[in-house]
Amino acid sequence: MQHSNAGDFSRRDFIRGGSMAALLGLAGAVELRAAAPKNAEGKELTGPKVKVGVIGLGPQGRDIISTLQLNPTAEIAAVCDHYPVRLRRSATNCPGAKATDDYKTIIADKEVKAVIVATPSHLHRHIAIEALQAGKHVYCEAPMASTIEDVKAMAVAAREAVGQVFQPGLSLRADPQRHFLLQFVRSNAAGRTVAMRAQWHKKQSWRQPAGDPEREKELNWRLDSRISPGLAGEIGIHQMDMMTWLIKERPKAVTGFGGVMHWQDGRDVADTAQFVIEYPGGAQGIFECTLANSFDGEYEMLYGDLAAIMLRGNKAWMFKEVDSPLLGWEVYARRDVFYKEAGIALVMNATKLVAQGDNPVEDAPFANTPLSFALEAFLNNVNDVGSAVEDARDTFGTDDKRKLAKHLATLKLAPAATWKEGLEAAVVAIKANEALTSGRRVTFEKGWFELA
Amino acid sequence: MRTILVAAGLSVGMALNAAETARYESQPGGGKMRIDGTATVKEWTVECAAIGGFIEADADFPGGTGKPKVEINIPVRQIKSGNKDMDAVMHDAMKQQAHPRIQFRMTELKAKGVATGGKGEFDATGTLMVAGVTRTNTMPVTIERVSSTKLKVTGTATVKMTDFGIKPPSPDIPGGGIIKTGDDVKMTFEWTPEVEKP
Repeated sequence: MQHSNAGDFSRRDFIRGGSMAALLGLAGAVELRAAAPKNAEGKELTGPKVKVGVIGLGPQGRDIISTLQLNPTAEIAAVCDHYPVRLRRSATNCPGAKATDDYKTIIADKEVKAVIVATPSHLHRHIAIEALQAGKHVYCEAPMASTIEDVKAMAVAAREAVGQVFQPGLSLRADPQRHFLLQFVRSNAAGRTVAMRAQWHKKQSWRQPAGDPEREKELNWRLDSRISPGLAGEIGIHQMDMMTWLIKERPKAVTGFGGVMHWQDGRDVADTAQFVIEYPGGAQGIFECTLANSFDGEYEMLYGDLAAIMLRGNKAWMFKEVDSPLLGWEVYARRDVFYKEAGIALVMNATKLVAQGDNPVEDAPFANTPLSFALEAFLNNVNDVGSAVEDARDTFGTDDKRKLAKHLATLKLAPAATWKEGLEAAVVAIKANEALTSGRRVTFEKGWFELA
Repeated sequence: MRTILVAAGLSVGMALNAAETARYESQPGGGKMRIDGTATVKEWTVECAAIGGFIEADADFPGGTGKPKVEINIPVRQIKSGNKDMDAVMHDAMKQQAHPRIQFRMTELKAKGVATGGKGEFDATGTLMVAGVTRTNTMPVTIERVSSTKLKVTGTATVKMTDFGIKPPSPDIPGGGIIKTGDDVKMTFEWTPEVEKP
């Protein structure tokens, strides 16, 4: 999620644990992770490592590196940034990794199996496409790009890269808590969705200082309305995509409101915005975002006619209406009180935690971040798809793309965003930003979401 | 006279077609295998959608008296449970690195009755190699002619892991404790090899 700021880094993590891995890394601690299984001889069974190249070493790129360093499947083989200070810093933190200011070096490196693109959004296109065409697996930060034309070009390249993983950085799509929650929504426990709301509040400038005007302009691309997808693209894309995922409908229109409310430093990209997303079934999703106030942080709400569901971080609660039917399991569930409302805690593996003697309240099994789950899914899928491609060639004796695609469709991969979700989410975010900057309601056109 | 000669020629031609052997090859999406087993915690299941191999048989098959040739191979690392830790333990127990494939070569196919409607029941005997150990195994199979270019084979085999030198794993799964697996496993498969289109 590209909402970090170099100067705000440690405070952000302290407040919301946004990147526990990075925070612990800064503190010199080692995060305790589940150990790998062992065989009868006591040997740890870990799968093959994936050699990864990270391109773009700003705050998000560094967050990704810190997260990868805690994953036993990842081997950071190369890092790249054309800003020498950032390159030196990351090279020091990744001993053994090749350091380069030219991304083409990483793409040409046959040892590197997967590439992570964490450059500014408007620079994703050519790097991601070149990496795919070179046979690499690609993880590309969201939004995929800043224009629909670029997003579509990347989606086409990803679609044609049969046998390669392309994963946009919609990290919530890999979060097990979200998948767990989806069961309640899909089973109609909340009833018919009548509205959704999400907010993201964090007081931060986004402006980064630099020694010279040219470098400052480059560093502050997010404040340049000509290239920045604004709050909708840089922050809102995740939660707006979450709303679309929950309601399972493609939005039909979006309206945006907002402006520069606090950071009056000459920028013309809004620091506060509200978006109203209209869905065909009649429900609307409201997303609110500000860089001017931190109260109440980040959460999502789904309002159904039987219950409301609230998601905060890796926790969720259901608030039932008085006339909604009793769900058998709720008799045993924990309840937490929020002001005047009592919410049923929706905790994954609650029964297992109790059986193990762990406390479901304090030992929430998913203390990891959506980013860590997304990268874990990416690395596992790289290994699974890679081995499936090799075995398919040996088993079926063919390199035919159509046949390979048919075989790969039988794989059960770790849940994560694909190019399709990346395309949909990017289009919604780009058009939401357009609605805000133009002051007009934008009606979504089918063609924006479709590839030739 | 001419009509008789033409008819005779046609008859010979048809007899040649009946004896002609075709090779039916594995196709992506054309096979699945499932292995069911037991463990102290609960029963377990693993699956694989990559079944390789071929059948060489004549046009009458599964009827007729021809002797088909059958070979099947399955990549061990594509056999999966959906749990990475369990898969790692299973692949290690099956010595995947040294013996990446399960292999079956049929040596005898014994019909159980007469094949009717293009479908027949058989006992298939052959050598089954798992984890580097080869045993002779007989399993009941049903073979059906789906079309002139496609066959369907279904079957079940019950084997013991220890027969193939595999010690039933008792892994210490993080968060799950030590799990002991049972020796008996049931393999069920469905396979539809086809003649390759030119």
